[in-house]
Amino acid sequence: MVIAVEAVVLAVVGLLVAGLLRSHAEILRSLRDLERGLDPDFRQPVRSRPSGVPVRDPGSPAADVVGATPTGDAITVGVVEADQGTLLAFLTSGCHSCHLFWEAFDRRDLAVPGDARLVIVTRSTEHESESRLAALAPRDVVVVMSDEAWKTYQVRAAPYFVYVDGPSGRIVGEGAAGTWEHVSNLMHQALADAEIGKGRRRRARLVPDVDRGVRVDRDLASAGIHPGHDSLYRSPIRRDEPAAEEPGGENGTWPA
Amino acid sequence: MARLSAVGIDVEIPSGWDARIYRRPSGEVRPALAAGASAAGSHAVVHAGNFPLPAARGDFGSGAVEVMREGDVLVVLFEYGPESAGTPLFAAQGPPAALTADRFSPRALQRVIPGQMGTQVFFTTANRAFCLYVVLATRASPGPLVGLVNPVLASLTTNV
Repeated sequence: MVIAVEAVVLAVVGLLVAGLLRSHAEILRSLRDLERGLDPDFRQPVRSRPSGVPVRDPGSPAADVVGATPTGDAITVGVVEADQGTLLAFLTSGCHSCHLFWEAFDRRDLAVPGDARLVIVTRSTEHESESRLAALAPRDVVVVMSDEAWKTYQVRAAPYFVYVDGPSGRIVGEGAAGTWEHVSNLMHQALADAEIGKGRRRRARLVPDVDRGVRVDRDLASAGIHPGHDSLYRSPIRRDEPAAEEPGGENGTWPA
Repeated sequence: MARLSAVGIDVEIPSGWDARIYRRPSGEVRPALAAGASAAGSHAVVHAGNFPLPAARGDFGSGAVEVMREGDVLVVLFEYGPESAGTPLFAAQGPPAALTADRFSPRALQRVIPGQMGTQVFFTTANRAFCLYVVLATRASPGPLVGLVNPVLASLTTNV
Protein backbone atom coordinates (compact mmCIF):
# COMPACT_ATOMS: atom_id res chain seq x y z
CA MET A 1 0.00 0.00 0.00
CA VAL A 2 2.77 2.39 1.04
CA ILE A 3 4.72 1.49 -2.09
CA ALA A 4 1.72 2.26 -4.26
CA VAL A 5 1.27 5.67 -2.62
CA GLU A 6 4.99 6.42 -3.06
CA ALA A 7 4.77 5.44 -6.73
CA VAL A 8 1.84 7.79 -7.29
CA VAL A 9 3.64 10.64 -5.50
CA LEU A 10 6.77 10.02 -7.56
CA ALA A 11 4.75 10.07 -10.77
CA VAL A 12 3.09 13.37 -9.81
CA VAL A 13 6.45 14.89 -8.87
CA GLY A 14 7.90 13.62 -12.16
CA LEU A 15 5.09 15.30 -14.12
CA LEU A 16 5.62 18.55 -12.22
CA VAL A 17 9.35 18.49 -12.92
CA ALA A 18 8.76 17.76 -16.62
CA GLY A 19 6.29 20.64 -16.83
CA LEU A 20 8.73 23.01 -15.12
CA LEU A 21 11.53 21.96 -17.49
CA ARG A 22 9.32 22.52 -20.56
CA SER A 23 8.21 25.92 -19.25
CA HIS A 24 11.84 26.84 -18.61
CA ALA A 25 12.81 25.79 -22.14
CA GLU A 26 10.06 27.94 -23.64
CA ILE A 27 11.19 30.95 -21.58
CA LEU A 28 14.78 30.44 -22.78
CA ARG A 29 13.62 30.16 -26.43
CA SER A 30 11.59 33.37 -26.11
CA LEU A 31 14.55 35.18 -24.57
CA ARG A 32 16.79 34.01 -27.41
CA ASP A 33 14.28 35.22 -30.05
CA LEU A 34 14.04 38.56 -28.25
CA GLU A 35 17.80 38.82 -28.16
CA ARG A 36 17.96 38.15 -31.94
CA GLY A 37 15.40 40.87 -32.55
CA LEU A 38 17.52 43.38 -30.67
CA ASP A 39 20.80 42.29 -32.23
CA PRO A 40 21.57 44.41 -35.33
CA ASP A 41 24.01 41.77 -36.58
CA PHE A 42 21.37 39.07 -36.57
CA ARG A 43 19.50 39.16 -39.89
CA GLN A 44 16.27 37.34 -40.37
CA PRO A 45 15.76 36.15 -43.95
CA VAL A 46 13.73 38.72 -45.94
CA ARG A 47 10.37 37.40 -47.08
CA SER A 48 8.52 39.46 -49.62
CA ARG A 49 5.88 36.80 -50.14
CA PRO A 50 3.03 36.02 -47.79
CA SER A 51 2.97 32.61 -46.16
CA GLY A 52 1.22 30.03 -48.28
CA VAL A 53 2.57 31.41 -51.56
CA PRO A 54 5.22 29.17 -53.09
CA VAL A 55 8.66 30.72 -53.35
CA ARG A 56 9.71 30.96 -56.99
CA ASP A 57 13.23 31.49 -58.23
CA PRO A 58 13.79 34.98 -59.63
CA GLY A 59 13.91 34.83 -63.41
CA SER A 60 11.35 32.05 -63.70
CA PRO A 61 9.70 31.91 -67.12
CA ALA A 62 6.41 33.77 -67.53
CA ALA A 63 3.44 32.93 -69.74
CA ASP A 64 0.91 34.86 -71.81
CA VAL A 65 -2.43 35.42 -70.10
CA VAL A 66 -5.38 33.75 -71.81
CA GLY A 67 -8.97 33.97 -70.65
CA ALA A 68 -12.11 36.04 -71.03
CA THR A 69 -13.08 39.63 -70.34
CA PRO A 70 -15.92 40.52 -67.98
CA THR A 71 -17.99 41.31 -71.10
CA GLY A 72 -17.46 37.77 -72.41
CA ASP A 73 -14.79 38.36 -75.05
CA ALA A 74 -12.11 35.73 -75.56
CA ILE A 75 -8.76 37.39 -74.94
CA THR A 76 -5.04 36.74 -74.84
CA VAL A 77 -2.53 39.27 -73.56
CA GLY A 78 1.01 38.98 -74.84
CA VAL A 79 3.39 39.05 -71.91
CA VAL A 80 6.29 36.95 -73.15
CA GLU A 81 8.46 38.46 -75.92
CA ALA A 82 6.61 41.77 -75.56
CA ASP A 83 8.63 44.94 -76.11
CA GLN A 84 7.72 46.27 -72.67
CA GLY A 85 7.29 44.92 -69.16
CA THR A 86 3.90 43.85 -67.83
CA LEU A 87 2.65 44.22 -64.29
CA LEU A 88 0.05 41.55 -63.62
CA ALA A 89 -2.30 42.52 -60.78
CA PHE A 90 -4.15 39.50 -59.41
CA LEU A 91 -7.31 40.87 -57.80
CA THR A 92 -10.75 39.72 -56.75
CA SER A 93 -13.97 41.70 -56.70
CA GLY A 94 -14.63 40.79 -53.08
CA CYS A 95 -11.46 41.33 -51.07
CA HIS A 96 -11.33 44.58 -49.12
CA SER A 97 -7.69 45.33 -49.98
CA CYS A 98 -8.37 44.78 -53.68
CA HIS A 99 -10.88 47.65 -53.76
CA LEU A 100 -8.08 50.12 -53.13
CA PHE A 101 -6.40 48.87 -56.30
CA TRP A 102 -9.57 48.79 -58.42
CA GLU A 103 -9.98 52.48 -57.56
CA ALA A 104 -6.29 53.34 -57.99
CA PHE A 105 -6.11 51.70 -61.42
CA ASP A 106 -8.86 53.96 -62.71
CA ARG A 107 -6.54 56.94 -62.32
CA ARG A 108 -5.17 58.04 -65.68
CA ASP A 109 -2.03 59.53 -64.06
CA LEU A 110 -1.05 56.26 -62.39
CA ALA A 111 2.71 55.72 -62.81
CA VAL A 112 3.53 52.05 -63.27
CA PRO A 113 7.13 51.06 -62.39
CA GLY A 114 9.33 50.60 -65.44
CA ASP A 115 6.56 52.06 -67.65
CA ALA A 116 5.10 48.60 -67.67
CA ARG A 117 1.70 47.75 -69.01
CA LEU A 118 -0.82 47.06 -66.27
CA VAL A 119 -3.09 44.04 -66.67
CA ILE A 120 -5.65 42.92 -64.06
CA VAL A 121 -6.17 39.17 -63.73
CA THR A 122 -9.16 37.78 -61.82
CA ARG A 123 -10.55 34.30 -61.29
CA SER A 124 -12.93 32.90 -63.90
CA THR A 125 -16.72 32.98 -63.90
CA GLU A 126 -16.94 30.00 -61.52
CA HIS A 127 -15.53 32.24 -58.79
CA GLU A 128 -16.34 35.77 -59.93
CA SER A 129 -19.35 37.78 -60.97
CA GLU A 130 -18.94 39.16 -64.48
CA SER A 131 -21.33 42.04 -63.85
CA ARG A 132 -19.54 43.01 -60.67
CA LEU A 133 -16.19 42.94 -62.43
CA ALA A 134 -17.57 44.91 -65.38
CA ALA A 135 -18.63 47.60 -62.91
CA LEU A 136 -15.22 47.62 -61.22
CA ALA A 137 -13.06 47.42 -64.39
CA PRO A 138 -11.06 50.60 -65.01
CA ARG A 139 -11.63 52.22 -68.41
CA ASP A 140 -8.12 51.88 -69.79
CA VAL A 141 -6.86 48.72 -68.13
CA VAL A 142 -7.38 45.26 -69.59
CA VAL A 143 -9.13 42.80 -67.25
CA VAL A 144 -8.68 39.10 -67.94
CA MET A 145 -10.66 36.43 -66.10
CA SER A 146 -8.37 33.41 -66.05
CA ASP A 147 -8.11 30.59 -63.51
CA GLU A 148 -5.35 29.24 -65.73
CA ALA A 149 -3.21 32.34 -65.12
CA TRP A 150 -3.71 32.07 -61.35
CA LYS A 151 -2.57 28.47 -61.59
CA THR A 152 0.35 29.19 -63.91
CA TYR A 153 1.63 32.01 -61.73
CA GLN A 154 0.88 30.00 -58.55
CA VAL A 155 -1.19 32.78 -57.01
CA ARG A 156 -3.09 31.74 -53.89
CA ALA A 157 -4.05 35.07 -52.37
CA ALA A 158 -5.11 38.51 -53.58
CA PRO A 159 -4.00 41.18 -54.05
CA TYR A 160 -0.82 39.77 -55.57
CA PHE A 161 1.48 41.30 -58.17
CA VAL A 162 3.88 39.81 -60.71
CA TYR A 163 6.24 41.87 -62.84
CA VAL A 164 7.28 40.25 -66.12
CA ASP A 165 10.16 41.52 -68.24
CA GLY A 166 8.80 41.30 -71.78
CA PRO A 167 11.96 40.87 -73.88
CA SER A 168 13.34 38.10 -71.66
CA GLY A 169 9.90 36.65 -70.89
CA ARG A 170 10.87 36.18 -67.28
CA ILE A 171 9.45 37.14 -63.90
CA VAL A 172 11.65 39.78 -62.27
CA GLY A 173 9.52 40.60 -59.24
CA GLU A 174 6.45 39.49 -57.36
CA GLY A 175 4.76 39.85 -54.02
CA ALA A 176 1.74 40.83 -52.00
CA ALA A 177 1.04 44.42 -51.05
CA GLY A 178 -1.71 46.41 -49.40
CA THR A 179 -1.20 49.76 -51.09
CA TRP A 180 -0.11 50.99 -54.50
CA GLU A 181 2.91 52.69 -52.90
CA HIS A 182 3.98 49.33 -51.49
CA VAL A 183 3.57 47.68 -54.90
CA SER A 184 5.53 50.47 -56.53
CA ASN A 185 8.38 50.15 -54.04
CA LEU A 186 8.42 46.36 -54.36
CA MET A 187 8.62 46.48 -58.14
CA HIS A 188 11.17 49.31 -58.25
CA GLN A 189 13.35 47.18 -55.96
CA ALA A 190 12.85 44.12 -58.17
CA LEU A 191 13.75 46.11 -61.29
CA ALA A 192 16.87 47.48 -59.61
CA ASP A 193 17.90 43.95 -58.59
CA ALA A 194 17.29 42.74 -62.13
CA GLU A 195 19.53 45.53 -63.48
CA ILE A 196 22.28 44.46 -61.07
CA GLY A 197 21.86 40.91 -62.34
CA LYS A 198 22.24 42.12 -65.93
CA GLY A 199 25.43 43.95 -64.91
CA ARG A 200 26.83 40.74 -63.46
CA ARG A 201 26.10 38.91 -66.69
CA ARG A 202 27.77 41.68 -68.71
CA ARG A 203 30.88 41.51 -66.52
CA ALA A 204 30.96 37.74 -66.88
CA ARG A 205 31.18 38.16 -70.64
CA LEU A 206 34.32 40.32 -70.21
CA VAL A 207 36.25 37.43 -68.66
CA PRO A 208 38.46 35.96 -71.42
CA ASP A 209 37.47 32.46 -72.30
CA VAL A 210 39.71 29.57 -73.27
CA ASP A 211 37.82 28.97 -76.50
CA ARG A 212 38.64 32.46 -77.71
CA GLY A 213 42.37 31.88 -77.16
CA VAL A 214 42.19 28.58 -79.05
CA ARG A 215 40.36 30.28 -81.92
CA VAL A 216 42.98 33.06 -82.13
CA ASP A 217 45.86 30.54 -82.15
CA ARG A 218 44.12 28.53 -84.88
CA ASP A 219 43.51 31.63 -87.05
CA LEU A 220 47.11 32.79 -86.65
CA ALA A 221 48.42 29.32 -87.48
CA SER A 222 46.27 29.16 -90.62
CA ALA A 223 47.88 32.49 -91.65
CA GLY A 224 51.35 30.97 -91.16
CA ILE A 225 52.05 32.83 -87.92
CA HIS A 226 53.43 30.53 -85.23
CA PRO A 227 55.05 31.21 -81.82
CA GLY A 228 58.26 33.17 -82.34
CA HIS A 229 57.17 34.50 -85.73
CA ASP A 230 58.93 37.75 -86.64
CA SER A 231 55.70 39.67 -87.18
CA LEU A 232 54.75 39.20 -83.53
CA TYR A 233 57.69 41.34 -82.45
CA ARG A 234 57.35 44.08 -85.05
CA SER A 235 55.82 47.43 -84.11
CA PRO A 236 52.57 48.06 -85.94
CA ILE A 237 53.63 51.69 -86.45
CA ARG A 238 56.27 52.29 -89.10
CA ARG A 239 58.95 54.60 -87.71
CA ASP A 240 59.56 56.28 -91.06
CA GLU A 241 56.03 57.70 -91.18
CA PRO A 242 54.58 60.35 -88.89
CA ALA A 243 51.64 59.07 -86.93
CA ALA A 244 49.03 61.09 -85.10
CA GLU A 245 49.23 58.80 -82.10
CA GLU A 246 53.00 59.10 -81.78
CA PRO A 247 54.51 61.39 -79.15
CA GLY A 248 54.92 64.89 -80.58
CA GLY A 249 57.29 66.44 -78.06
CA GLU A 250 61.03 66.79 -78.25
CA ASN A 251 63.06 63.62 -77.73
CA GLY A 252 60.05 61.55 -78.64
CA THR A 253 58.09 62.22 -75.50
CA TRP A 254 54.64 63.67 -74.93
CA PRO A 255 54.79 67.44 -74.26
CA ALA A 256 54.28 68.22 -70.59
CA MET B 1 1.33 30.09 -78.74
CA ALA B 2 -2.19 30.48 -77.34
CA ARG B 3 -5.38 29.12 -78.88
CA LEU B 4 -8.32 31.49 -78.79
CA SER B 5 -11.85 30.26 -79.49
CA ALA B 6 -15.18 32.06 -79.41
CA VAL B 7 -18.32 32.60 -81.52
CA GLY B 8 -17.35 29.88 -83.97
CA ILE B 9 -13.87 31.20 -84.64
CA ASP B 10 -10.70 29.42 -83.63
CA VAL B 11 -7.22 30.87 -84.09
CA GLU B 12 -3.72 30.33 -82.75
CA ILE B 13 -2.05 33.46 -81.46
CA PRO B 14 1.76 33.65 -81.39
CA SER B 15 3.52 34.20 -78.10
CA GLY B 16 3.71 37.86 -77.14
CA TRP B 17 0.71 38.88 -79.24
CA ASP B 18 -2.48 40.45 -77.96
CA ALA B 19 -5.75 39.17 -79.35
CA ARG B 20 -9.44 39.37 -78.66
CA ILE B 21 -12.56 37.78 -80.14
CA TYR B 22 -15.79 39.58 -79.39
CA ARG B 23 -19.33 39.70 -80.63
CA ARG B 24 -20.83 42.91 -81.88
CA PRO B 25 -24.61 42.98 -81.47
CA SER B 26 -26.50 43.16 -84.76
CA GLY B 27 -27.02 46.71 -85.92
CA GLU B 28 -24.29 48.07 -83.66
CA VAL B 29 -21.07 48.77 -85.51
CA ARG B 30 -18.23 50.91 -84.39
CA PRO B 31 -16.94 53.54 -86.84
CA ALA B 32 -14.71 52.87 -89.83
CA LEU B 33 -16.47 50.25 -91.89
CA ALA B 34 -14.91 48.53 -94.85
CA ALA B 35 -15.66 50.51 -97.99
CA GLY B 36 -18.54 49.19 -100.04
CA ALA B 37 -19.87 46.77 -97.44
CA SER B 38 -23.15 46.81 -95.59
CA ALA B 39 -23.09 47.56 -91.88
CA ALA B 40 -26.20 45.58 -91.12
CA GLY B 41 -26.01 42.47 -88.94
CA SER B 42 -22.48 42.68 -87.62
CA HIS B 43 -21.36 39.61 -85.68
CA ALA B 44 -17.91 38.35 -84.69
CA VAL B 45 -14.83 40.54 -84.64
CA VAL B 46 -11.26 39.35 -84.12
CA HIS B 47 -8.33 41.65 -83.37
CA ALA B 48 -4.79 40.30 -83.15
CA GLY B 49 -1.54 42.25 -83.04
CA ASN B 50 2.08 41.85 -82.04
CA PHE B 51 1.81 44.95 -79.86
CA PRO B 52 -0.32 45.90 -76.82
CA LEU B 53 -3.82 46.53 -78.15
CA PRO B 54 -5.40 49.60 -76.53
CA ALA B 55 -8.53 48.96 -74.50
CA ALA B 56 -10.62 51.30 -76.66
CA ARG B 57 -10.63 50.31 -80.33
CA GLY B 58 -12.89 50.55 -83.32
CA ASP B 59 -13.93 47.37 -85.09
CA PHE B 60 -11.45 48.03 -87.90
CA GLY B 61 -8.61 48.92 -85.57
CA SER B 62 -9.06 52.65 -85.11
CA GLY B 63 -7.41 53.50 -81.82
CA ALA B 64 -4.85 50.74 -82.40
CA VAL B 65 -3.36 51.74 -85.75
CA GLU B 66 -2.45 55.14 -84.32
CA VAL B 67 -0.12 53.55 -81.75
CA MET B 68 1.52 51.07 -84.13
CA ARG B 69 5.27 51.36 -84.46
CA GLU B 70 7.70 50.10 -87.10
CA GLY B 71 7.45 46.30 -87.20
CA ASP B 72 3.93 46.08 -85.75
CA VAL B 73 1.13 44.15 -87.42
CA LEU B 74 -2.62 44.21 -86.84
CA VAL B 75 -4.98 41.49 -88.06
CA VAL B 76 -8.72 42.20 -88.08
CA LEU B 77 -11.39 39.68 -88.98
CA PHE B 78 -14.80 41.31 -89.22
CA GLU B 79 -17.98 39.36 -89.80
CA TYR B 80 -20.92 40.76 -91.73
CA GLY B 81 -24.55 39.69 -91.58
CA PRO B 82 -25.69 36.39 -93.10
CA GLU B 83 -27.37 38.26 -95.97
CA SER B 84 -23.87 39.16 -97.23
CA ALA B 85 -22.67 35.56 -97.47
CA GLY B 86 -22.09 34.49 -101.06
CA THR B 87 -22.77 37.93 -102.56
CA PRO B 88 -20.33 39.10 -105.26
CA LEU B 89 -18.15 41.02 -102.82
CA PHE B 90 -17.87 37.92 -100.61
CA ALA B 91 -17.72 35.41 -103.49
CA ALA B 92 -14.27 34.04 -102.55
CA GLN B 93 -14.57 30.82 -100.61
CA GLY B 94 -12.61 30.59 -97.39
CA PRO B 95 -9.92 32.83 -95.93
CA PRO B 96 -6.64 33.15 -97.83
CA ALA B 97 -4.20 30.45 -96.76
CA ALA B 98 -1.39 32.99 -97.00
CA LEU B 99 -0.90 36.60 -98.03
CA THR B 100 1.83 37.90 -100.29
CA ALA B 101 3.70 41.18 -99.99
CA ASP B 102 2.35 42.50 -103.30
CA ARG B 103 -1.19 42.58 -101.87
CA PHE B 104 -0.28 45.38 -99.47
CA SER B 105 -0.69 49.04 -100.29
CA PRO B 106 -1.20 52.31 -98.39
CA ARG B 107 -4.35 52.78 -100.53
CA ALA B 108 -5.98 49.78 -98.85
CA LEU B 109 -5.88 51.41 -95.42
CA GLN B 110 -9.08 52.46 -93.70
CA ARG B 111 -7.19 55.47 -92.51
CA VAL B 112 -4.00 56.47 -94.32
CA ILE B 113 -1.11 56.76 -91.87
CA PRO B 114 2.43 57.36 -93.20
CA GLY B 115 4.59 54.25 -92.80
CA GLN B 116 1.64 51.87 -92.90
CA MET B 117 0.16 49.66 -95.59
CA GLY B 118 -2.75 47.30 -95.61
CA THR B 119 -4.88 44.80 -97.44
CA GLN B 120 -8.54 43.80 -97.37
CA VAL B 121 -9.83 40.37 -98.38
CA PHE B 122 -13.55 39.55 -98.49
CA PHE B 123 -14.70 35.95 -98.38
CA THR B 124 -17.45 33.56 -97.31
CA THR B 125 -16.89 30.50 -95.18
CA ALA B 126 -19.38 28.25 -93.37
CA ASN B 127 -22.13 30.54 -94.68
CA ARG B 128 -20.57 33.48 -92.86
CA ALA B 129 -19.29 36.59 -94.63
CA PHE B 130 -16.00 38.08 -93.46
CA CYS B 131 -13.54 40.83 -94.23
CA LEU B 132 -9.92 40.15 -93.37
CA TYR B 133 -8.13 43.46 -92.85
CA VAL B 134 -4.38 43.46 -92.17
CA VAL B 135 -2.27 46.52 -91.38
CA LEU B 136 1.54 46.51 -91.44
CA ALA B 137 3.66 49.29 -89.97
CA THR B 138 6.80 49.32 -92.06
CA ARG B 139 8.74 51.69 -94.26
CA ALA B 140 10.73 48.78 -95.67
CA SER B 141 9.68 45.72 -97.62
CA PRO B 142 6.48 44.21 -96.14
CA GLY B 143 7.74 40.65 -96.65
CA PRO B 144 9.04 39.96 -93.12
CA LEU B 145 5.85 41.29 -91.53
CA VAL B 146 3.66 39.28 -93.90
CA GLY B 147 5.64 36.31 -92.62
CA LEU B 148 4.38 37.07 -89.11
CA VAL B 149 0.76 37.23 -90.27
CA ASN B 150 0.59 34.06 -92.37
CA PRO B 151 0.92 31.52 -89.51
CA VAL B 152 -2.05 33.22 -87.82
CA LEU B 153 -4.11 32.95 -91.02
CA ALA B 154 -3.06 29.34 -91.48
CA SER B 155 -4.40 28.48 -88.03
CA LEU B 156 -7.74 30.24 -88.56
CA THR B 157 -10.84 28.06 -88.67
CA THR B 158 -14.50 29.04 -88.62
CA ASN B 159 -17.68 27.07 -88.18
CA VAL B 160 -21.37 27.83 -88.10
